[in-house]
Amino acid sequence: MTTTNTRDPSSFDRIRDAVVGQSNSRRALVLMAPLIAFELLVFVIPFFILLRISVASGSADLPYESGTWSLDAYSSVIENILSFDLFWSILVYSFVLGGAVTIVTVGIALFYAYAIWRSSGLVKSLLLFSVILPLLTTLVIRTYAFTPLLSPTGTVNDVLLSLNLVSEPIQFVPGIVGAGIGQLYIVLPYAVLAIYSVMATIDWDIVEAARDLGASRPRSVVEVVVPQVMPGVIVATVISFAWSVGSYAAPGLLSENLTFAIYIETLLLTDQRYPVAAAFSVIMLVLMLISTGVLFAILNRFGGDFDLA
Amino acid sequence: MSEITLHDLEKQYGETTAVEDVSVEIRDGELLCLLGPSGSGKSTTLRMIAGLETPTSGTISIEADDVTDQPAYERNTSTVFQDWALFPHKSVLENVAFGLKMRGMSKDDRQKRARSMLERVQMGGYGDDDPTNLSGGQKQRVALARSLAVNPDVLLLDEPLSNLDKRLREDMQIELREIHEDLEETFVHVTHDQDEAFTLADRIGIMNEGELVQVGDPDEVYENPKNRFIEAFLGDTNFVDAVVTRTSSDAVHVDTELGTELVLPTDGEPDVDEGTGLTLSLRPEILSIDGETGRPEAAGKQPVATDGSAHNAVTGTVENVIYRGSTVRYSVSINGSSMFAERTDASTGAHASGDDIRLEWDGEDVLAFRDDGTRVTL
Repeated sequence: MTTTNTRDPSSFDRIRDAVVGQSNSRRALVLMAPLIAFELLVFVIPFFILLRISVASGSADLPYESGTWSLDAYSSVIENILSFDLFWSILVYSFVLGGAVTIVTVGIALFYAYAIWRSSGLVKSLLLFSVILPLLTTLVIRTYAFTPLLSPTGTVNDVLLSLNLVSEPIQFVPGIVGAGIGQLYIVLPYAVLAIYSVMATIDWDIVEAARDLGASRPRSVVEVVVPQVMPGVIVATVISFAWSVGSYAAPGLLSENLTFAIYIETLLLTDQRYPVAAAFSVIMLVLMLISTGVLFAILNRFGGDFDLA
Repeated sequence: MSEITLHDLEKQYGETTAVEDVSVEIRDGELLCLLGPSGSGKSTTLRMIAGLETPTSGTISIEADDVTDQPAYERNTSTVFQDWALFPHKSVLENVAFGLKMRGMSKDDRQKRARSMLERVQMGGYGDDDPTNLSGGQKQRVALARSLAVNPDVLLLDEPLSNLDKRLREDMQIELREIHEDLEETFVHVTHDQDEAFTLADRIGIMNEGELVQVGDPDEVYENPKNRFIEAFLGDTNFVDAVVTRTSSDAVHVDTELGTELVLPTDGEPDVDEGTGLTLSLRPEILSIDGETGRPEAAGKQPVATDGSAHNAVTGTVENVIYRGSTVRYSVSINGSSMFAERTDASTGAHASGDDIRLEWDGEDVLAFRDDGTRVTL
C-alpha cells in the first residue's frame, strides 16, 4: 500500500507548482487579452495621438501641421494660465464646480445609501429604484429639465416668491448653481450605488455594539459606519470629481460659463487649434491625477480610529 | 454589580409575540443563564435589557432605576454578541478602549485600562493586531475584554460561545465561570445549549415560546421541572403514555403503554382523577439494568410493586446497542414501545441485540405530566 507513495513529494510539488503556475498565468493572460486590446485601441493609442498632437505646431489652414515638433501650444497655455487669463478662469471654474458638486454629492449619497441600508421591504425597493430611475432617461433631457424648474420664471422661483421667501426671482439658470445641481443629478446615482454597495456588506451588529458601549446614534455612525464605508466613499468621490471637473452637458445646458470640456470643444471645432486643445487636455489630465492622488491620501486617513475629542 | 428586575416584559413584532410576561429578579453578582430553544425569546429578552430592543410593555430596572425608556448608549450594560461584532477597522486595543473613549476617558488612561483588560483575557500581546485576523476563540476573548472594560452594571452574553468548536467552547465555559467568580459582576448569559447552562449558571431561567417557564438552581430545574417541556428539553428521557386506573391516599396506579401497571407513590392525596391521561418520564439514570435480583421468571408481565418499596420493573428485548464512549445506550422494545437505558461501564459485551433485558426503577423517581404539559404533584 505504501509503495505507491514513495516518490519525493517535495520535488513533485515543485514540478506541479511550476506547471500549474505557468498555465495559470497563461490562462490569465488569455482571459485578459480582449480587455488589453480594448484598452490599447480606445485609450492608450488615442492618448499617444493626443500627446503627439500637443507637441505639433499649429497651422493657418489645417488643424495642425503634421510631422512638426513644437512646444508652442504648451507655452501658450501655461503662459495664459500664469497670467490669470482665460485658461486660468476656465481651470478655476472647472475645479470649483467639480469640487462643490463632489462634496454635496458624496454628502447626500452617504445619507441616501444609509437610508437604503436601514430600510427593508417595499421602501428599500422604492429607494433603490429611484436611484436607477434617472439613468433610464437620456442625460440631455433630465439635465435640460432643470431649466423650467430653476429659471427665473420657473417652478422653484414661483414657490419661493409665493412663500415670500425672496422678493425677486433668483437666477439659478443660467448660472453656476443650476450647472452644479444639474451635474449633481448626473453623478448622484453612481455615488449612491458606489457607497451603498460597500455599506450593504457592513454587519449591523457592529453599530449595535458601538451603541451598547455608549456611542450615541450619530457617533456610532461616524465611529463605525463611516470608516468601514470609506472604500465606497473614495470611489464615489473620484467618480464625482473626475466627471464634474470635466463636465460638459450640465454646464453647457444650464450655464453660460465655460468649463474646460466646453472650451476644448470650441478649440477643436470652432478655432481648429488642435495642438492648444491637446496641450490643455494633457495639463488638465496631470492636474486631475494630482488632485485624485491628494484625495486618496486624505480619505484613506479616515479608515481607522480617529479622535473627535 | 447590580440587581436587575424585569417586570411583565413583553415584546411584539407586528402580530407575533416574541416575549410574553417575563418577570424575574436577577440577583446582584449572579450568573443567570437564559436557556431555551431557538425562537424562545431569550435573545430578545437580553436585547431588551441591553436597550437594543424596546419592550412593547413592562419595565426593566437596574438597581431600582427604571431604565425601560433609556437607549442602549445611556445604559451601563454591556453585551458580548454572538458573532462578537468587533470593529474591523480598529485595532484590538482600540476595540477594547472604545467604550472608555465613549465615556470620555483620556487616551492614555483608556489604553492603559484596555491593555490590562486584554491581559485579563490572556490576549496581552495582541493589542496592535487587526481583529479580523484573530481566531474565533481570540475574537471571543477580545469581545469579552471590550465589554468588561467599561465596568458594566451587568454583562450580557448573547450565545457568544455558539460559534466555537466543542473543545474550545468547553474551555471558554470554564474560563467565563472563573472570570465571573473573579469579578463578582452580574452576568446574564443566553444559550440554547443545556450543558453550557449547567456548567456556567448560578441559576437557570428556562424559556419557551416567549415565556419564562421556570427559574431556579440548576439541580432544581433538572430534578423538579415545572412542566413536560423542561423535562424534555433538559437531557434525554423516556416518555411513557399512561392512564390513571386507581388512586389511593398514598399512590396513583396507572396502566401504561408498556403493557404493565405501575404504581406511583404520592406524598399525600393525589391531585389526579381516575381516567386522566398522563405522560410518565423515566430518565435513563433512574433505570437500572438487570438488577442484583437477576432475571425473574415472570418479568415484564406484572408490576413488581410490593407495598412501600414502590419498586417497578419491565422486561424487553434489546433492539440495538449504541456505544457512546463513556456510556452504552440500549434501545429496548417493550410491548411494542421503545425505551432506552444506559450503562456507564462501557463493556459492550454485556448485552447484544435480541437479548432480553430487564429495566428496574424506583417509582419515587418517576415524574408525571398531564396532557397539557403541567406536572402532577406526586
